[in-house]
Amino acid sequence: MSRFDPTGEAGLSLRMVEELAAADSLLHRLSPLPKLLLTVLYIALTLSFPKYALSALSVMALFPAFGYQLAGISPAVCFRRMRFILPLVCAVGIFNPFFDRDPLFFLGNFPVSGGIVSMLTLLLKGVFALTAAFLLIATTPLEDLCRALRRLHCPRILVSLLLLTFRYITVLLEEASLMTQAYSLRAPGQRGVHISAWGSFLGQLLLRSMDRAESLFDSMLMRGFTGEFPGDSGSGTPPAAWAAALICAVMMALARMYDIPAMLGGIILGG
Amino acid sequence: MHMADALISPAVGAAMYAASAATAGISIYRLRREDSLRPGLTSKRLPTMAVASALVFAGQMVNYSIPGTGSSGHLCGGLLLTALLGPWAGFLSMAAVLIIQCLFFADGGLLALGANLWNMAFYGCFAGYYLVYRPIMGSKRLRPAVKLTLASVLGCVLSLQLGAFSVVIETSLSGVTELPFEAFLALMQPIHLAIGAVEGLITAAVLVFVYNARPELLPDVQSSEGGPGRFSLRGTLAVLAIAALVTGGGLSLLASSSPDGLEWSLFGNSEGGYSENLGLNEDSYGIESPASKAAGGIQEKTAFLPDYGFSDGSAEALGTSVSGILGAAMVGALAGLVCLCGSLLRRRGAGRK
Amino acid sequence: MITFENVSFSYPGGEPVLKGVSFHISPGERVGLIGANGAGKSTLLKAALGLVDVEGAVIIDGSALSRKTLPLARKTLGYVLQDSDNQMFMPTVLDDMVFGPMNYGMSRDEAEALADNILSDLGIARLKHRQNHKISGGEKRMAAIATVLMSSPKALLMDEPSSSLDPRNRRALINTVNSLSVAKLIASHDLDMILDTCDRVLLISSGQIAADGAAWDVLTDQRLLEESGLELPLGIQGSRK
Repeated sequence: MSRFDPTGEAGLSLRMVEELAAADSLLHRLSPLPKLLLTVLYIALTLSFPKYALSALSVMALFPAFGYQLAGISPAVCFRRMRFILPLVCAVGIFNPFFDRDPLFFLGNFPVSGGIVSMLTLLLKGVFALTAAFLLIATTPLEDLCRALRRLHCPRILVSLLLLTFRYITVLLEEASLMTQAYSLRAPGQRGVHISAWGSFLGQLLLRSMDRAESLFDSMLMRGFTGEFPGDSGSGTPPAAWAAALICAVMMALARMYDIPAMLGGIILGG
Repeated sequence: MHMADALISPAVGAAMYAASAATAGISIYRLRREDSLRPGLTSKRLPTMAVASALVFAGQMVNYSIPGTGSSGHLCGGLLLTALLGPWAGFLSMAAVLIIQCLFFADGGLLALGANLWNMAFYGCFAGYYLVYRPIMGSKRLRPAVKLTLASVLGCVLSLQLGAFSVVIETSLSGVTELPFEAFLALMQPIHLAIGAVEGLITAAVLVFVYNARPELLPDVQSSEGGPGRFSLRGTLAVLAIAALVTGGGLSLLASSSPDGLEWSLFGNSEGGYSENLGLNEDSYGIESPASKAAGGIQEKTAFLPDYGFSDGSAEALGTSVSGILGAAMVGALAGLVCLCGSLLRRRGAGRK
Repeated sequence: MITFENVSFSYPGGEPVLKGVSFHISPGERVGLIGANGAGKSTLLKAALGLVDVEGAVIIDGSALSRKTLPLARKTLGYVLQDSDNQMFMPTVLDDMVFGPMNYGMSRDEAEALADNILSDLGIARLKHRQNHKISGGEKRMAAIATVLMSSPKALLMDEPSSSLDPRNRRALINTVNSLSVAKLIASHDLDMILDTCDRVLLISSGQIAADGAAWDVLTDQRLLEESGLELPLGIQGSRK
């Protein structure tokens, strides 16, 4: 029954992320704004590595590795949710070995083609980017992230919309999950909603949701809502957080500028 | 159709962010102006948008079984939101859905968010609406159910085709795939034709149901008698022009300056290995990758190998790669060690409690 | 406090929901609003709050509802919705509580201090930083009431406050409601709760007031209740056997 119910699964997975974000650690305590900027910088730097720079790229693994330990979160939690998007990256990357067959170097007598290296680089980039983004949301509640967005002058209506949507996602996922379960109990063996119920299944939920919006609006009006949420500046970012973020950023930039693994290997082989 | 971070370069990502942010900015401006036309009346828009986005979010998780295939289809969110809320609010709502999907479900990525907004929300909300949905709703001859079905299917197909096309362009310009542009296109477009048709049918089923139950929720269907529903050539052309400008013009500008080259100039690295590498990189990807250029690339490569050889210069075939592999392995081992230590510490901490 | 003078309402193109309703509620009065499904209870509450446009006069705290008086009237009244999820739309209980006062110009610090007081009065201080979608149904209802009390209303309008509560939470709710001294208009099918919380009952049937009297008199009148599609409260059924 639950296998048929992706809505319920999504609800559980949302809950799990929120529980992670509600924990306490050094990384949880880092202010959201530097954390957000640092994550974006990390992803941008990771993606900017050239396509054959496999060894240089590998050093970027250290940042999330340390990050997850600082946050007290097992990286395995993150790997499980990559199953949706990584296949797409693989599907694009899998063609590289076929189209780029020129040997880049030899491993013993075995020629390693540029395509293989660029495919692996692509995969690593995908994994790194996802782990970093997940670390951000697993250590920062959405409210805090939204406050950081406000500080970046993201329009208030968009931030309010994000918060409000998130609030109702949990409610609607639950409703959809109940409907799916009720449906699958009466339609055993079906893997999805039958074509005869395509319109009514979500249509019913939609009508109820619009009633909900009405009632929600009433509740907001009753409390003096005038079209926008009242401003919430939140507390400022302490200088220490900025300093920590700056050190991290410099380390990331250095990792991007120098092929540290190759230098390391070179020293060992050479020395 | 969510793009992953790995599939785009930072430059393409930033360009798509700019395009999507501009669209969002215009949308917000339009909504504000609409609200200011009715002063004193608090707008119900925000709660409605939020609940509608949450609905689309939940609705996209529902599996619809496609008869006779054993596979399942999903809802086309952009068009549904636009039909309910109009294109401006629809775009913002779809943005909220995509942002939350990206953050909490790793669907897409932080850097690819701009591209995803463009590929899914922009085409779904504006192209699907102005080019298909609204013109069809303006027709006086067809029955509402027929109009809705036709509009949903054609609208979804169009927006998914444009979206898939953008994915191909963005990925190719980012230089991450060796797949020739035409081959990639030939792979993506037909798949998304089928997906678009199914998504369109599901969306049509939902919209027809809603129309029969509460027609007032779909403002455009009824406006066929009035003025605003009429096909607007100017609006259509404007949307087409913007889409063409951004995907074609904006991105090809970037391509000519070469995303990798752009980043490289930022870092100003003079290490030979990389820039040589880059030379090959530039030549081998793109719309035409002639074998001659690739051959030239090999020459360049073999030329720089000795620079990175062993200190005594004996193992000519191994070159830089061995030190790279060794270093990468050490980094990997270190990362693994960090994780192992962390999990051991955590387990201990849990045991102590 | 709340006065209806010949109030009628119908949805556009639909049957009339309220037909010439008149009543008066004095400050501090505790009034139950009962009636079968679709009798017009929720609509009557919404009419009092100015959430639907009605014919006739609705007078709140001495001034008739109009565009101009609406904001003040809404501040005077507290509305507890049937579905607490719709009431609590902010991420956490505290965010929700300060939403109203901040809209009315209070600073966040002041609003938080007020919230602390109300939460401890209701005995739910532990909920302060909890997220709205993670607390239980009973907690959510209490938090919703806390949210409404933030604007210090002079009258509380409640729509099915005891629905989907377990017996213990329902009892806690009744105690809380009874501890509040403001005027109350409680719409509910839970007639036993009405008996426990109200002195007076308005019985509404197909959009009209079918009875208006002391709670005990109305709720023990078996014939009247059955004519309006209701039954005797369980407590009274039990004592009659």
